[in-house]
Amino acid sequence: MAAAALALSLFGSIDARAQQPDFTGVWTTYNEPGAAGGGGRGGGPPLPMTDAAKQKVAKYQALVQPTGDTPGGYCLGTGMPGSMLGSGGYPMEIQQRPEQIMIVYEAHSEIRRVYLGNRIVPEADRLPGRNGHSSGRWDGNTLVVETSNLVEQVDQRYAHGPKAKIVERYHLEKDAKGETVLVADMTLTDPEFYTAPVTAVKKWAKVPNGHLLPYECAEENWIKHLEQLENKAAGKR
Amino acid sequence: MRFIVLVVAALVTAGASLAAHHSAIQFDFTNSKAVTGVVKKFIAINPHMQLVLHVKDEKGERDIEFEGHSTNNMYRAGYRDNMIKVGDTITVYIAPLKDGSDGGYVTAAMTANGTRFGMRSRAELEQERLKAEGKK
Repeated sequence: MAAAALALSLFGSIDARAQQPDFTGVWTTYNEPGAAGGGGRGGGPPLPMTDAAKQKVAKYQALVQPTGDTPGGYCLGTGMPGSMLGSGGYPMEIQQRPEQIMIVYEAHSEIRRVYLGNRIVPEADRLPGRNGHSSGRWDGNTLVVETSNLVEQVDQRYAHGPKAKIVERYHLEKDAKGETVLVADMTLTDPEFYTAPVTAVKKWAKVPNGHLLPYECAEENWIKHLEQLENKAAGKR
Repeated sequence: MRFIVLVVAALVTAGASLAAHHSAIQFDFTNSKAVTGVVKKFIAINPHMQLVLHVKDEKGERDIEFEGHSTNNMYRAGYRDNMIKVGDTITVYIAPLKDGSDGGYVTAAMTANGTRFGMRSRAELEQERLKAEGKK
């Protein structure tokens, strides 16, 4: 009896896993037929920001607009949700295992780890960061990823504070041509920054046998630094 | 001759991942200019390719420093390792500096053997359209 129950449980688990889609692969931005492409970032109606958030963003913009400086200009990764919404031109790679899903965004070699089940880091053991901590679970064929433990970021379109929560719901669908499309429906909630949840949709197309390229953002600065050292050693200014 | 078409304006302005480098506000992406010279230095890195060309033109003979798209973007627009070597005579297609001084942002290049890689800028596409219509 116990053996039968165990077998049922085991096979039930395997059966459920078999139904889950596999997102493994390299993905680039999906362009809707007839549309300009991209999507999921920039433009659109104004975000429902609180007054306090507007002031923080305005203060930041006043600092960087004269020079056009960006975090990426200093080799800093974008952070969520920009890392996800902006991926595609520089593609992203997903490696999926039952207990952990790795997402590598080629730009700045930014990495997210989505933990599932026992791999989810206990709340007390998490450190905040620009991509936060991501917990995943399956809702049928949809992967639900909840991201928290973020830091305040006013340097991206979807500015947010440290208490922001981001929920992404990933699923696969077919377009009119029968091509596989990966879709993420995102909802960002942050009462400190927004008066209502903020939503966005991002779509990616599969790159057949795709590969990510290396991206060592700091190499340029290091080479220039070496040149300066060489000039100094040679007595040049 | 190979040419893979991408639109540079989109790559420069299309959002954080592609614009995630230092500011490009000093470059005029509404204009495109071709510059031919001999390669003195070329480094294929991210986020910007680095290039020094020895150029002879009406202003005289000098070295001009350029930067360009990331190696990764150029790779996806046709660039491959060793396409450009020191001593090669190449032509680069640039968004010039807004202040008119030497240099610019390389959006595409024609290598010594006539292989072209890179993106067409909005300015280049417009110039090609006008040329095709016999207006320029």
